[in-house]
Amino acid sequence: MHIRAAAQGNPRRKPLRQRLKPYLFLLPILLFAIGFVYYPFFKTFLYSFSRVNFKGEITGFVGLENFRYLFSRRDFGIALKNTLQLTLLNVPITLAITIFLALLATNRRRGSAIYETMFTLPMAVSMSAAALIFKVLLNPTVGYINHLFQLNIGWYEDRNTALYGILMLTVWMGIGFDFLLFLSAFRSVPRHLMEAALIDGAGAGNRFLRIQLPLISPTILYVACTNMVLAMMTSGPIIILTQGGPSRATTTLIYMMYSSGYSSSNYSLAACVSLITFALTLLFTIGAFTLEGKKVHYQ
Amino acid sequence: MTRKQKKRLSDALLSLLALCLGLAIIFPVLYGILGAFKSEAEFAAYPPTLFPQSFGYTENFETVWRQVPVLRFFFNSFVVALLGTGVRLVFAILAAYAFVFFEFKGKRFLFFLILGTMMLPADTLLITNYQTVAQLGLMDSYLGMAITSFVGASQMFMLRQNFKSAPLALKEAAHLDGCGDLHFMLSILLPISKPVLVTLFVQGFVTMWNAYLWPLLVTNQNDMRTIQVGITMLTTLEDTNYHVVLAGVAISLIPAFILFFFLRRNITRAMAAGALVG
Repeated sequence: MHIRAAAQGNPRRKPLRQRLKPYLFLLPILLFAIGFVYYPFFKTFLYSFSRVNFKGEITGFVGLENFRYLFSRRDFGIALKNTLQLTLLNVPITLAITIFLALLATNRRRGSAIYETMFTLPMAVSMSAAALIFKVLLNPTVGYINHLFQLNIGWYEDRNTALYGILMLTVWMGIGFDFLLFLSAFRSVPRHLMEAALIDGAGAGNRFLRIQLPLISPTILYVACTNMVLAMMTSGPIIILTQGGPSRATTTLIYMMYSSGYSSSNYSLAACVSLITFALTLLFTIGAFTLEGKKVHYQ
Repeated sequence: MTRKQKKRLSDALLSLLALCLGLAIIFPVLYGILGAFKSEAEFAAYPPTLFPQSFGYTENFETVWRQVPVLRFFFNSFVVALLGTGVRLVFAILAAYAFVFFEFKGKRFLFFLILGTMMLPADTLLITNYQTVAQLGLMDSYLGMAITSFVGASQMFMLRQNFKSAPLALKEAAHLDGCGDLHFMLSILLPISKPVLVTLFVQGFVTMWNAYLWPLLVTNQNDMRTIQVGITMLTTLEDTNYHVVLAGVAISLIPAFILFFFLRRNITRAMAAGALVG
């Protein structure tokens, strides 16, 4: 009687080893998710409200003092403006270029394998290789671009143009991959829809706006979001090409975080910048997905 | 003109346009490779030229070879990418398996705990992760360079979708045969999931091979640099050795280009498939 009641109380009671098994399978990924994602995030959060010495030890709680100090610094405003400018320009330009290229390549023609390879080639070039090539290409004296277009632009050496030089590089790096995503999106638009519209006398513009664009809208959302996050995180090209200069014209938020945390050991300042970048990126993502509910069309 | 002729003409014009745009897009790469064969004098000459005087001029490559340990850089990149991608895949497989084939307390919570890591961009965690790696004494080590990429939430998610589609009867049959979980996983589940595993591996490997910022942060010794960090060390303060820098860039592009041209279809498909779960 007693035994039966116990068995009924736990009808699926398994041996301990069996019950622990799923957790053992999850242990490795959880350990590292906590150690290298959640713990550093939590620590960044703590740092931003604390006084932190150069060894990274917290020596006191200061409330919003770090943020107040950050907002009072002129370079933070500049970094914020530069980052937003890069992001707001990068996303629409990349979308326009890659959608156009994908549209051009949707129908297979003679030579299409060649230009498809050309359009995707930037994918095979790493960021640091691309940055070094652009450094030479956009050099005001020995570079080829100024000569080719008969320009007299300082590019990375001029505070008025340096950010646009960075923008050109980041847009170029994204072309290959985004083109590919749009190409497969356009090719999966059902053929009969396009043909039916053609018979109804719809022009190319109408077919694009009424049929293709709504059907590829999930891809647009995806590409816009990933490019937005990448642009918000722009830092590698700046470390290689400009170190934030000339006169802070290319200082971005993550570059500021990197230089204040890594080079100057000002950990609380770096933490504040990091949190703000994270919050802005999250805000933009939420914004994009709110828009999704209204505009994006899923098949 | 008949309709067919019209179509052929417009096709030809569109192809031509596409080829021109294609040339514009690959122009920086062409320029970089051509520049690797130019001498310092050719670079200083005005007006700048596009083509080198001779493709037989290999002194830049020899200079790169003398200045930095190129093969060592390649080896480092290879080890780090292999280690990071391999461990990440193993962890993701184990987690996905648990979520598909086991029932346990806290399943939903743990699932979202892992997926939640995708919300926190790695770049914003650089400084604190750098401190952790320094405290663990992992600076200048392969483990230190790979350790932050061991968590692959999107890989776990994709594998979970994939395992779910494996017939449950397979697992039950295996279980009745006295086949344990690991045995079932290794001899039945993973072999039938090979396409998605290859996709995830290729995608992860390429991303890690191209990484720059993290490997830069956690290495100080010249010998431990990856190729992406190593080539940036060829630049000098005076910025006058473009010919050498471009030779370094050209060398660094070789493995990626070989992969790209031979496996283009597979890689591009892999990258695109991986992106959809991103």
